[in-house]
Amino acid sequence: MEAARAAGAEYADARAVLRREQSVATKNGRVDSLSDVESEGIGVRVLVGGAWGFACDRRLTSEGARAAALHACEFALASGRGSVHRRLAEVEPQRATYRTAYEIDPFSVSIGDKIDICLRAEAGLARPEVKVAGAFARAVRENKLLVTSEGAEVEQELLECGAGIDATAVADGVTQIRSYPSAHSGSSAQAGWEYVLGLGLDQEAPRVGEQAAALLQAPECGADVMDIVIDAEQMQLQVHESVGHPTELDRVLGSEAAYAGTSFLKPTDLGALRYGSALMNITADSTTPEGLGTFGFDDEGVPAAPQPIVREGVLVGWIGSREVGFPGSMRADGWSRMPLVRMTNLHLEPGEGTLEELIDGVRDGLYLETNKSWSIDDKRLNFQFGTQAAWEIRDGKLGRLVRDATYTGITPEFWSSLDGVAGRDAWRLQGLTNCGKGQPGQSAHVSHGAAPARFRGVQVGVHA
Amino acid sequence: MSAALDVAETALRAAAGDEADVFVQSERSGLARFASSRLHQPTLVEDVVVTLRVVRDGRVGVAVSNRTTDDGLRELAARAIDAADSAPIDEEFPGLAEPAPLPAVRGPDPETVELGPREQAELADAAIAAAGDTPAYGFFTSGSTDVAVASTTGSRTQQTTTDATVLVLAAGEGFSGFATQTSSKVAGIDVRGCAAEAAEKAARTRGAAGIEPGIYRAVLEPYALAELLQYFAYDTFGAYGLLEERSFFSGRIGEQVFDEKVSIADDALDSAGLPRAFDFEGSPKQRVALVEDGIARGVVWDRRAAKRAGGDARGTGHAPPVVLQSYGPLPFALTMRGGEAESVDELAEAVGEGIYVTRLHYLGVVHPREGVVTGMTRDGTFRIRGGRVAEPLVNLRFTVAVPRLLGDVPALSRAVTLVNGSDFYGDRFAYGVRAPAIATAHFNVTGVGSSPGV
Repeated sequence: MEAARAAGAEYADARAVLRREQSVATKNGRVDSLSDVESEGIGVRVLVGGAWGFACDRRLTSEGARAAALHACEFALASGRGSVHRRLAEVEPQRATYRTAYEIDPFSVSIGDKIDICLRAEAGLARPEVKVAGAFARAVRENKLLVTSEGAEVEQELLECGAGIDATAVADGVTQIRSYPSAHSGSSAQAGWEYVLGLGLDQEAPRVGEQAAALLQAPECGADVMDIVIDAEQMQLQVHESVGHPTELDRVLGSEAAYAGTSFLKPTDLGALRYGSALMNITADSTTPEGLGTFGFDDEGVPAAPQPIVREGVLVGWIGSREVGFPGSMRADGWSRMPLVRMTNLHLEPGEGTLEELIDGVRDGLYLETNKSWSIDDKRLNFQFGTQAAWEIRDGKLGRLVRDATYTGITPEFWSSLDGVAGRDAWRLQGLTNCGKGQPGQSAHVSHGAAPARFRGVQVGVHA
Repeated sequence: MSAALDVAETALRAAAGDEADVFVQSERSGLARFASSRLHQPTLVEDVVVTLRVVRDGRVGVAVSNRTTDDGLRELAARAIDAADSAPIDEEFPGLAEPAPLPAVRGPDPETVELGPREQAELADAAIAAAGDTPAYGFFTSGSTDVAVASTTGSRTQQTTTDATVLVLAAGEGFSGFATQTSSKVAGIDVRGCAAEAAEKAARTRGAAGIEPGIYRAVLEPYALAELLQYFAYDTFGAYGLLEERSFFSGRIGEQVFDEKVSIADDALDSAGLPRAFDFEGSPKQRVALVEDGIARGVVWDRRAAKRAGGDARGTGHAPPVVLQSYGPLPFALTMRGGEAESVDELAEAVGEGIYVTRLHYLGVVHPREGVVTGMTRDGTFRIRGGRVAEPLVNLRFTVAVPRLLGDVPALSRAVTLVNGSDFYGDRFAYGVRAPAIATAHFNVTGVGSSPGV
């Protein structure tokens, strides 16, 4: 802070970060990869003459901190052409600490024990048709200290654990995959190793292997317009892509236009735009227990708090930062990246009833489980998702398993067709670690809670 | 001796008494990002990352750190040794790579090495100015990366690479155009020309209309084809995809799989690309023919995958970073042979009636084995009528089987363009695809999206 101020910064913040990540992956009874990665450094962000600058240094020393501050000011000065006065929303400077609550420190669990958990789980996937059985476990500890030129000083320790299994079955030129508890590297939470133990990977593995094999014999999902029921896991991704990203206010204002894209929403839509049916209630909540987007304070030092985003189908809030006037969701990927507006934990609030009741309300439709592929346009309107498995619904009952199911839609039209969300008992929270944004790229870890939901008249079965 | 190699040798000494190899990457980079014609997120990065792999009685442990003090490297060695002692014997480990002669590749560009934040910001400013009245979004970035490998087998290798990229989206409400250039040297890119190309394209996209879904003949610019090839490559052109039967090439090696005009290789030695002499364990890079005249020839390998496969399989210099070993060897220097068309206008003539695609957005692999990919077109989609590029179209959703798209190719451009493929996540690893523009008889439009623009 001293070096930045001396170099002319009207505002500065600095984050010193130490991060350790341990991961284990096994495949077909063998260790596939094993890593233990540590990284540390300091990132300094400054405002000089209305222009931002960011630089970092891996040395956690006074010399490293000063070098980062001076380089950041140098970049800000060089970037100042056409800069405008940037006003940051007022926040009370915080002096506090925050730590993830946990029972078992994952770094007290030996690598050997982590390998054993993966190998045990993977063994349960084995079937003649399963060509690749894989398991994965990870643990992350991040310690960070934020100080700002306004007087904030916040120290936090965030702990993550996660795991998952995948079975890839192959026969007669057909390849199918099934995963648990979630696709694309399992699920993670801010918690201790007890989270991994509680997933019950080895208990679920036989079902996962059996379903992967069954998909080989299943007919391909046909093209049609029909009612669909989507499981909690795929609903989490639906929320992420079609509500989370378009309600990031930096996207609305164009900051991400060249990479992740913008948004179909406009600033004037707040409080007016009908996003979906009255059953649609979405909340951003950085206080959710076990959420990967949970913290005491964001990377601008703003205290965590829940924020309604959609209420009864109407847009009522943004995901934002001090600069865009909605503080509370600034997060950086480690010490070498600038904080950006990011999702924290974003939930579809539960409705009433059960999954079975949702299915019971469909005469001719499809029940879809577990994401397989995803794509959405730069304004977050036109999406197409694929799921690992789907079952036909006939007269309110689940029927045949079908493979290669996809569905597509336009965001507000799709959410307007929402006519049922299952209740709290069916609501699930899961965390993903691959949310990409920014240039240079940053990966955010975010969680989503959702219950199964039903949509009417959706296009399914898009084929090449 | 380079600083990276010096660190590598120190780390190797810290693992005294064990078989070990070390990969060190030292990065110095700057990225001047702009939006609405103003620099808004300039980022400078300096880091040195050390990956130490230790082998004890057939057990392999890996640890990574960016603390390069003596204490830091000692702790790194202790963590790697602890990991090795906890691991079962790794039956697939092929042993540490033996020293081998490395191919000669072009060295770093001194001018690019010297670029600092002031020059990076000035080049971004130049791009913004060249877009004229059209609001510009994008970045200029350059980086210098020093990589080194040292091992107890005697390997001592080092290479410094440089890269520079400019990317410009010129856009307003209802119109947008895109262009990007990348090179191993800053003098190899024209930031003003790039911005002017994006702005010119943007001006032609106003008043975009929809189109009925269906199969169209199409022209894809190199930007679009490069991204499609890279996504297709993840499952199809790597050894694990083949061994695990995720690859379209599974059971098809030696068969005619694409139009005979299509030849694709992975060639990190190509001086027109971003040259690299060795992979992440120090093995020499090799050019690998993936497709020749439409016939599937092979995939890329590392020594681990080759051991798993057995038989005649051999590493081709494609070992990934040890911490990303699960992904297996993948091609990151794809190059597709050009054809005879002198311009995209000639390709439009070859298409006759169809659509013209500048760039793609947010691709997703729908069915790996069939090579089915979905995504959106963006920032310059047009109708082709009577063999000419005509009125603008809205963004289109497509769902294509890449083998079908490459299966009927009326023409390819003679010019082949290096298209940046890196979004610069994590440690800097610049890579790109050298691709021509392509005319295809099969581009499946499965939906329509929003108008171009921001």
